[in-house]
Amino acid sequence: MMAAVLNRANIGPALVSVDIGHDVYAAVTDPNTAFWALVDKTRIAESLAGGPLLDAYRNKADTFARELHALRFELKPSGVYLNPTERCNLNCTYCYLPGEQRSGGSHMPTETLLASLGKLRDYFRSVMPEGHKPRAIFHGAEPMMNKDAVFAAIDAFADDFTFGLQTNGTLLNDAAVEFLTSRNVSIGLSLDGPSADITDATRRTWGGKSVHAKVLAAMGKLKGYGSWSVIATCTTENLPYLTQMVELFHANEVPTCMLNTVRCTLPGARGVKPSDGDMAKAFFAAMDRTHELYRESGQKLIVANFANILIGILAPTARRLMCDISPCGGGRAFFALAADGGLYPCSEFIGLPSFNGGNLLTDGGVEAALASAAFQTVTTRDVDTFSPCNECAIRHFCGSPCPAEAYEMNGSMEKTGAFCEFYKEQVNYALRLIADGKADDYLWDGWDEDTETVFDLTL
Amino acid sequence: MTQTVKTQQPAEAAAKTQPASPTIAIRKSCNPDGIGLSHYVLMDKKSAK
Repeated sequence: MMAAVLNRANIGPALVSVDIGHDVYAAVTDPNTAFWALVDKTRIAESLAGGPLLDAYRNKADTFARELHALRFELKPSGVYLNPTERCNLNCTYCYLPGEQRSGGSHMPTETLLASLGKLRDYFRSVMPEGHKPRAIFHGAEPMMNKDAVFAAIDAFADDFTFGLQTNGTLLNDAAVEFLTSRNVSIGLSLDGPSADITDATRRTWGGKSVHAKVLAAMGKLKGYGSWSVIATCTTENLPYLTQMVELFHANEVPTCMLNTVRCTLPGARGVKPSDGDMAKAFFAAMDRTHELYRESGQKLIVANFANILIGILAPTARRLMCDISPCGGGRAFFALAADGGLYPCSEFIGLPSFNGGNLLTDGGVEAALASAAFQTVTTRDVDTFSPCNECAIRHFCGSPCPAEAYEMNGSMEKTGAFCEFYKEQVNYALRLIADGKADDYLWDGWDEDTETVFDLTL
Repeated sequence: MTQTVKTQQPAEAAAKTQPASPTIAIRKSCNPDGIGLSHYVLMDKKSAK
């Protein structure tokens, strides 16, 4: 339902009320600044009519507007996603990279990767404050297929970047785990099912072999390491098993997981896309289960994609993920380097040649890519400027991800992404947790250590 | 999710005889440095351990 706005143009910012499905509380928000408050459902009209809440907000509205504008439009890149190879040993149903690249593509030569990181280091030094390390994430297709180059780069640039690695986990032997963990590399794995038959439905080798047991073995090797996570991509194939998924992760002491909606950029993914309603039902059952497990054991399993929604509400600038903000982080907070040296706003666009912003080493480099039409198409996608997002009360908690999906699946950058209603339900769920005083149970311990409380009103 | 402007309904008026639950409004701020995305979250903070 479209948000209706109480017009307060003459006396201050406009607020809208949102039914969050809570017994006691409703939300009131100013969508333009991502301000929110939870008010007694029986007192909504008087809360909006005036009084201490509105007075306190009006004193801060300009500050909040400036903060959100800076987050949305004034960031400089501080991270890069590196694709050291086009190849992958798996053929996952929903991959955003074209199959012909993954099966028969090329590796980036070691010397090219080292030269690229040198150029990227120089770029980041020019835009980041002294003392802040940029992040470099080896990410696609399967970085461990080009392990020698990746490991050489991690050692050569240990002083210049904080490194991460997203891998399918099948090539993580003891020596590789020792190398990566001894260098504090943040490691992400992928697993789609609590049992092999479920994982196999979407993640198998090109020859159709199961990799479930190999990923479980990699999880076992990482147990006790602080900086690792596991992604489960939610599809029609594993949705009934999400609760069992989080039980498996918790039993294996996974500190952080993501239960991501499948990205529908390429057609293969759309064949396993769940409905918003089915996604919400399964997702919240799994979230409820993580909370039960935490209460029973004292051990948290953080679901990072949901935690990010929650943090985006409590502290907009403390987001760790830059998908659920508009414009998204692609081409702003980070960018991607393809194995052929091409620069893209995000790895999600690597299969779409029109989003190539030029070659890092042979064209104009990062600055030229950031200014290119290819990047600007993404970085100017603004939920304030197109319907229905521009009338949505939670548009700056959601950001209408993902632009690649909107463009390829829905036909335009000025369309919503693939899971509009599910995002609204996540925001409702998050606000209900805040109303019930449970938000911290769903967040990393110490998540707000580097934040300052700038608004705290209990009336 | 429904997004509606609430007007005072009969039940709402009746409920006003009860004390209102306290309003909750919190916002925190910091220097933004997030670079994660749906394919990856970098766990390099102390809180991840």
